[in-house]
Amino acid sequence: MSGRVLVVDDEPEIRRALRTGLGYHDFDVRAVETGGEALAQAAAWRPDVVLLDLGLPGIDGFEVLAQLRQRGNRAAVIVVSVMPDETDKVRALDLGADDYVVKPFGMQELSARIRAVLRRQTAAAVEGEPVLRAGDLELDLARREVKVGDRLVHLTPTEYELLRYLAVHAGKPVTHSTLLRQVWGEHAVGDTYNTRYVVAQIRKKLEDDAAQPRYIVNEPGVGYRLKA
Amino acid sequence: MRRTWPLSRVIPYAAAVLGVAAITAAIGLVRPWVELPNLTVAYLLLVLFLGARYGWPSAVSAAFLAFLAYDWFLVPPYGTLWISAPRELLNLIVLVLAALAGGRLAASLAAREAGAVAEAEESGILYELAIAALREPVETTALARLCERAVTSGGLEAMSLVAGDSSQAQVAEVVAGAALTAAELSESRAAIAARQDRGAVLRDGQLAFAPRVSGRSSAAFVVLGGGVAVLKPPRHRLNVDSRRLLAALLGLAGLLLDRRRTAAISEHARALEASDRLKAAVLSSVSHELKSPLASLRAGLTTLQMPQAGLPPDQRELVSGLNHQTTRLDRLVGDLLAMSRLEAGLPLDQQPQELDELVGAVLLSLRPVLEPFRLLIEIESGLPPVLADELQIERLLTNLLENAAEWTRPGAAITVGAQSRNSQIEAWVQNDGPAIPLEDLVQIFDKFWTNRQGGSGLGLAICRRIIEAHGGSIRADNTPAGPRFSFRLPTAHQVVEVAR
Repeated sequence: MSGRVLVVDDEPEIRRALRTGLGYHDFDVRAVETGGEALAQAAAWRPDVVLLDLGLPGIDGFEVLAQLRQRGNRAAVIVVSVMPDETDKVRALDLGADDYVVKPFGMQELSARIRAVLRRQTAAAVEGEPVLRAGDLELDLARREVKVGDRLVHLTPTEYELLRYLAVHAGKPVTHSTLLRQVWGEHAVGDTYNTRYVVAQIRKKLEDDAAQPRYIVNEPGVGYRLKA
Repeated sequence: MRRTWPLSRVIPYAAAVLGVAAITAAIGLVRPWVELPNLTVAYLLLVLFLGARYGWPSAVSAAFLAFLAYDWFLVPPYGTLWISAPRELLNLIVLVLAALAGGRLAASLAAREAGAVAEAEESGILYELAIAALREPVETTALARLCERAVTSGGLEAMSLVAGDSSQAQVAEVVAGAALTAAELSESRAAIAARQDRGAVLRDGQLAFAPRVSGRSSAAFVVLGGGVAVLKPPRHRLNVDSRRLLAALLGLAGLLLDRRRTAAISEHARALEASDRLKAAVLSSVSHELKSPLASLRAGLTTLQMPQAGLPPDQRELVSGLNHQTTRLDRLVGDLLAMSRLEAGLPLDQQPQELDELVGAVLLSLRPVLEPFRLLIEIESGLPPVLADELQIERLLTNLLENAAEWTRPGAAITVGAQSRNSQIEAWVQNDGPAIPLEDLVQIFDKFWTNRQGGSGLGLAICRRIIEAHGGSIRADNTPAGPRFSFRLPTAHQVVEVAR
């Protein structure tokens, strides 16, 4: 078994398909219908990944997510939604979701996303790692050094902070508001163009092409993600 | 022509003559028994009374009459204007001077008091109307009372208020006051449209009527904030207090009409906003209802496609076809929703965006679709940001690239490019494929126009809608290297300050 996946969806056909399909992908799957059941199962069964539909009746997906995080549950949460509204994605990510998948999705895509968050979870569990790597990009957190291959890259403190935050959460979409808070401080007010501008500067220094990025990927309507 | 003197003009002088005669007679009667040194003081009392009561002209005439009468009857030698004693002459001169000064002073005090009374009355009226305006939620009640006051206290024959805006002067209507004739109403509308007073103007806190032109309507039109006031002046000339009161009333009427107009505008905006919210809610609910079953289908079909499902090859092929159809249906639903959102006119979220990173995001999400082709990027470096709705431009680029992928054979090139042009950015998607027939170049962006089987005919129509909503333009051309779809977007002019 490559991991425990809790499916939370009020659509019976989706639950059935995911139980079967994710089972074929070697996941241990349980599927529940309501937010209340989800919270109970998350506490009792300790899944590694929760596939959480946002449009649940009763306690909705946002509420389930908020309560999970409030109770200190560290399961990776992938939000699933048919609503292609970006504000929902941003809200879910800001509440502590790890990724989002838009319905309808194919089983291959979904299992790839699940594996990615599981990999990140394992990587995060290796504590005390002072050097973060993404492809040939290297961040030495102790020395505050950034390298592309062998080339040392000089970043301003703001640029370094932004890149560091993305690198610590490599593979995960990070919202503009989170970046603003993390880089400019808790009470930062600014628009998304601040982060865009700094990202453009970092890309220039990393010699990364925004149209065909090797490192920092734009998530339209949401924020940025560092390729894992 | 003989001028008739109205009684009110004669009375002050008659009072002066009679008063001087009476006092002279009284002094003449009393003097043999009581020798008073300065009997002329009695005249002063009369002069002061006349000045306070009728103003200085009658006071001055009384002073001169008193001078003459005293000299004639009471100063020796009697019966002549000859004055023998210098003391008596001095007495008389002092009398005249005192009468002149006292009369004028009394007259000006009286005038000032009358002015104060008029002002008190005026502020009382304005206070009453302002309270009425505050108390009544609907301005028409206060406006009606204002029109009544303009007649009862302002001295007009009639006043009406017509509410309207210069942009829609033709639908302006009477909201308060006397009814208007059709000619007067159309004249008020013309005044509103032209923002031009006729027959009267507000100047220096007073209302000034223009001299009447015979044969024309007797009404005057004064343009206010949210309409026009139609005034019918009385035959006689209005005094300064009335003209000032009318000016104040018109000022208040302007404020009330303006408030009425603002309320109407915000009511309209609220209704529009509510309908926008309703449209968005309906679209979101429809998208949910349509997409949920598609999600189950896709999840189930892709599960069946897996080798672990153990379907024989012919059935797997069948399932694969169904999955393909489901994907198509999903795209079609997506296109229809995108189109109806655009047609519902939901507002754009335009912000400065880097076009190259938008291209990057789209290329990444379309990687499976674009895999078979040779991808060329020709984006000028250092492009200024565009002012755009990120998600809409993402959809636009997605549609153009999907369209290009449909018309390109595997291994051939698809190019994405952009360059700065004046204050715009021109971007394009070009594919190495068959030229677009000349007659199709124009209608290719029309809704439901399609040249390929299974196409919804919405992809390019959506592109045009998106670009038009941004105030840009889009076009299709045949180039030697293949068909090219290019669009222009405005650049973001704002200078962005970034904390570093």
